[in-house]
Amino acid sequence: MIAAAKLAKRFGAVEAVREVSLEAADGRVTGLLGPNGAGKTTTLRMISTLLAPTSGTVAVDGIDAARDPLAVRARIGALSDARGLYARLTARENIAYYGELRGLARSRVAESTARLAALLDLEPLLDRRTEGFSQGERMKVAIARALVHDPPNVILDEPTNGLDVMTTRNLRDAVRRLREAGKCVLFSSHVMQEVAALCDEIVIVAGGVVRAAGTPAALREAAGCEDLEEAFVRLSGAAPGAGP
Amino acid sequence: MIARVLAVFAKEVRDALRDRRTALMVLVASIVTGPVTLVLVAQFVSGLEERAAHLKVRMAGAEHAPALVNFLRRADVEIEKAPGDYAERVKAGRLDAVIVVPADFHERWLAHEDARVQLVFDDSRTESGPAIRQSSRLLEAFNRETAQLRLMARGVSPSLTESAKVDRVNAATPQQRGAVLLFIIPMFALLAPLLGGMTLAIDATAGERERGSLEPLLANPVPTAVLATGKWLAAWASASAVVAVTLAGFVTASRLFAERKLPALLQFGLPELGLFLVVVVPLAALTSAAQMLISTYGRSYREAQTYVSYLATAVTLVPLAVMFSGAREAPWQAAVPALGQLMALTRVLRGEGLGVQDALVPGAVALVLAVAAVAAVARLLRDERIVFGRS
Repeated sequence: MIAAAKLAKRFGAVEAVREVSLEAADGRVTGLLGPNGAGKTTTLRMISTLLAPTSGTVAVDGIDAARDPLAVRARIGALSDARGLYARLTARENIAYYGELRGLARSRVAESTARLAALLDLEPLLDRRTEGFSQGERMKVAIARALVHDPPNVILDEPTNGLDVMTTRNLRDAVRRLREAGKCVLFSSHVMQEVAALCDEIVIVAGGVVRAAGTPAALREAAGCEDLEEAFVRLSGAAPGAGP
Repeated sequence: MIARVLAVFAKEVRDALRDRRTALMVLVASIVTGPVTLVLVAQFVSGLEERAAHLKVRMAGAEHAPALVNFLRRADVEIEKAPGDYAERVKAGRLDAVIVVPADFHERWLAHEDARVQLVFDDSRTESGPAIRQSSRLLEAFNRETAQLRLMARGVSPSLTESAKVDRVNAATPQQRGAVLLFIIPMFALLAPLLGGMTLAIDATAGERERGSLEPLLANPVPTAVLATGKWLAAWASASAVVAVTLAGFVTASRLFAERKLPALLQFGLPELGLFLVVVVPLAALTSAAQMLISTYGRSYREAQTYVSYLATAVTLVPLAVMFSGAREAPWQAAVPALGQLMALTRVLRGEGLGVQDALVPGAVALVLAVAAVAAVARLLRDERIVFGRS
């Protein structure tokens, strides 16, 4: 369960996020939808405690992120904007390193790796060094690495960026299975179809502000149109005449 | 916490060792440094000693100076006839020194007139030095003998001519003479940790950010101090390993030379190796930490490399600057990183032994500064501008 209240982040003169509040519940997939530069990545970085908000609060499973960032990180598995792997290590070693950093026993790392490899279709890649991996393969390893400790909260920053159709489809299946397992999944995207296909709850952000939030059906109704993409365009303020 | 530090350490070491090409290059470079250096130095030194030990002069017009030739023969000096174009040859560096005797020398010498010989040399070339000095000393000795004989012939005591007799005693033991030349070994010992820690220190900081693995790494519930410490220990271990290999190369090389009976250049055996490690390993802690700190500031791998190479220059220049500034050895110098180590290493090579204090002061300074640098790295890793780039 992730709750962000009135988050704002300023970099010098630039206000990357002005006011973002959202709640992502357990057992649901929450989508953070918005055009490029809307402040999605900055918001997710604040939630995963990599950035300190200029104002506002983040609570993960009731733990205040400003007070105990390490405890919050322990309850989150985050696929961040940067997803670099160690090219000279194998996929298995990349995953195991994060397991060790999270204090997992060796047996638990092995068990986790096997489970995630099955979930993400990674088995044939496990013992190869990651240097020759395709973008999709790297993404899968990065996700497995982020989820090695079986976190109750999963944050995915634009997970389908640069993936082909098949890999995207696999990823969606994986996300649905995470939801079935009762996890709180928060993911960002700038692709409407992506969010529409997966999310129980959508938060539309633009210009660092939440423009609309609700279930897909509620958003369609609020925008007064049947097409979700049209609703997105209207609600995100991209179309002329539209706005908060 | 210790388990996590070790996890970071193990990952960095493994990652570095898998970089075969770099690891191999560093290894080969450090193995050959010692032998190559010693071969060059030994050749230079033994060349000098050989020329000096075997007494030989070149003369032009030796037939005009039978007395001088007689003197030289008695002194067991080999006389070689100089070729006609000796002047050019000396200039070209193919002859060291030539004694030129004019045709009227013998008559004038017998008549106690102004009898002259010429010593032709080019002292701009250092390797000619021993031969020039030898020839001029032999001529002086000939003069002294002649004068003494003439004085005796007139009933004057020869000791009148020399109010103070100079006996030349060279205080430098062969080992010390070696240490003068082998200022080089301490220098290599100081540079080895820089070479050995560099790749890992840069890769673990600037490299980590450039490849986009820093952000996910920091998302782990691990204090940045743990990450910085693990990375530092790995860089330190790598630096120390390269130091050990480099110095072992010197030990091996100096053994080989001992067998070939080349001049006792230096005593550099296992005890000296041990003392060197005691001095240099703490320095390696500092150089690795400093390299990491510098690289964390670097915006890219390239930039970090450039900054880190400045550090190598500084380590080389600090001792040199102090030496050539003419400052005398003072206690405070032991507390200057690199300089303190250099002083301690020079003592070891001179065979003066290493006092507890000699090793302790520079070592303690290095370790304290290293810990401070690692703490600074940990702090930088919490700095948003450093982690996500500055704009």
